[in-house]
Amino acid sequence: MRTTKDAGDHKRLTTETQRTQSFSPFRRFLCALRASVVVHLLQRCKISQTSSPSPRLLQFLLPRLALALFVLYSLRPPPILVVVGPPQEVVTTNPLVGVHTRLTDEVEEWKIQRTLQMVREMGAPWVVEFFPWAYYEPEPGRYDWDHVDMVVRHARAQGLTVIARIGWVPQWARPEETTFTYLDPDGYEAFADFVATFAARYRGQVDHIIVWNEPNLSFEWGYRPVDPAAYVDLLRAVYPAAHAANPDVVVLAGALAPTLEPPGSPAGLNDLDYLRGMYEAGAAPYFDGLAVHAYGLGFPPEADPAPDVINFRRTELLRAVMEEFGDGNKPIYVTEAGWNDHPRWTRAVRPAQRIAYTIGAYEWARQNWPWCRVVAMWAFRYPAPLHNYQDYYTFVTDDFRPKPIYLAVQEYTGQSQRASESANQ
Amino acid sequence: MRNLSFISRRSLIAVLVLLLATCRPSPDALDRVLETGVLRVGMDASYPPFEYIDGEGNLVGFDVDLAREIATRLGVEPRFVANLPYDGLYDSLTAEQVDVVISALYVDPTRTADFTYSTPYFDAGQVLVMAEGTEGIDGMADLDGRTVAVEFGSAGDVEARAWARRLASLTILPCQTADEALAKVAAGEADAALVDHLSALMTSMEGLRIVEPMVTSEPYAIAVRREDRRLLEAIDEILAAMRDDGTLDRLQARWFTAAP
Repeated sequence: MRTTKDAGDHKRLTTETQRTQSFSPFRRFLCALRASVVVHLLQRCKISQTSSPSPRLLQFLLPRLALALFVLYSLRPPPILVVVGPPQEVVTTNPLVGVHTRLTDEVEEWKIQRTLQMVREMGAPWVVEFFPWAYYEPEPGRYDWDHVDMVVRHARAQGLTVIARIGWVPQWARPEETTFTYLDPDGYEAFADFVATFAARYRGQVDHIIVWNEPNLSFEWGYRPVDPAAYVDLLRAVYPAAHAANPDVVVLAGALAPTLEPPGSPAGLNDLDYLRGMYEAGAAPYFDGLAVHAYGLGFPPEADPAPDVINFRRTELLRAVMEEFGDGNKPIYVTEAGWNDHPRWTRAVRPAQRIAYTIGAYEWARQNWPWCRVVAMWAFRYPAPLHNYQDYYTFVTDDFRPKPIYLAVQEYTGQSQRASESANQ
Repeated sequence: MRNLSFISRRSLIAVLVLLLATCRPSPDALDRVLETGVLRVGMDASYPPFEYIDGEGNLVGFDVDLAREIATRLGVEPRFVANLPYDGLYDSLTAEQVDVVISALYVDPTRTADFTYSTPYFDAGQVLVMAEGTEGIDGMADLDGRTVAVEFGSAGDVEARAWARRLASLTILPCQTADEALAKVAAGEADAALVDHLSALMTSMEGLRIVEPMVTSEPYAIAVRREDRRLLEAIDEILAAMRDDGTLDRLQARWFTAAP
């Protein structure tokens, strides 16, 4: 769904572009001019100086300044101590329950830990998280895994299964004046190398990888016309490399945006047509499962699917395409889904409906979709409020206050009863 | 030495003259707007009653009328770019596709490096509503020992739950809609309701009143590119005039009223 895309991703992209644009030659000239004035004035001050400060004054001031700095340093608040703790286990009545977290831009370790702890306490065994290639391989062959290590360590400590969504192209791997979502076929091997390095490093810890995100939208495909065959070429490069690095890895393809865009639209292509295009281009041997985005918009989860309707059960139409091409033995992973309860957005529902629909969707998948491994709702929490309709997708506020939907899911998974029982013991 | 000082003084003056020369106003969207006679307004027309497409396919709403009024007072025509998705509103400003964004836009502090906002023209935060004549309730802190009705799962519900942890005794009465929460107050089943400002304005408030100040704030404002300071100043002046002459109140009365 185009309008429910990652506003955070888009915002960062916008800001970076703007900063690049705003540092114009004119501004550089102004900066240089200001700097020359400052230097000039400083030089004049120096010339006009006739006497240096008294050594006795310096002797008096310096030790006191040093002492004051030392005291201030000693009084600084201590860093928050984060202890990973003993391994936990998710207890739930529905093993399909999952959420998409947004820890990519979460800096503080205690917040990462708290987020994942709250996911476990909601009774969700699955998390989907975005790991941008551009963040972790800033130069070819130079990796910075600190943040990934932190997220994976805490997720595992909470007993969660992580699905890693990998995308976003570093500057060095794409032409100038292109966006993070642009990757030429020349860059496919570099991307495959990164995925393989990731898969090897986190083997046994992260065994599910989504290749790219919503390639059926133009802006997710570098603002170019979408191209299922080119995406299959990308899968063809990634799949063997990932499996060579980690034979247990489950490579997930698709993660297509639910959209009704007709062929030839500059914005993108209908997800059903795109999936057919993938199969026609020979995608089948190059993925182990299909990642699906299943937003409900204004419809309840049990609403019948139809090719011209976007709703939760559109997933079943994608499933039908898989079966049509003899690929029905592969599972589906719903890696984004959900309802929005913004008070005025025309694509939103009332908060009480959102709660009922969300739980209904988890239950629908459990009862009716034997081929489904997880339903991960968008999005558990943002590191900071986005100040728009996106905030109305979350389960927990940025300051970790559980929303009523969180408490309702907790009750659905049996976690609230568990919590009260342990409180009574 | 005197010569050196003279040269130095001359160079300083030259630098100052250069600085002054560069201090002339930079190109501003206001110039383009006045020159072309068109104010390009970006909005996502899917947020009634602020901006939406009515049954006859017309772009209507509070923000639409607000944009028209601002354009009129600038002496130009508005041109609406109303098919933008919300996520693309700021991009449309960056790409200079539009001059302003008027789209129930929440003032976002994280955007202020690149954009500036007008003075807010509406606050969509949470308000406490109580029956006319009820005494002793000036805010959430006065609800200790009382009952507050909320729309279940809403931002008001989250806020009420936070207050319930602070107060010794606060009973939260969850309702299916904001209307129902307000009806509970009117029926005497709750001492107050905590709902968003717009819901309060758009529900029949007979026998009810909004408690000042608001419990939370969610100001809506107009966004422009940061460099378009003169356009922003012009908009702020117009908004102030609209506040003074009652135009903003009239627009609110037109769009934020209960359905008959």
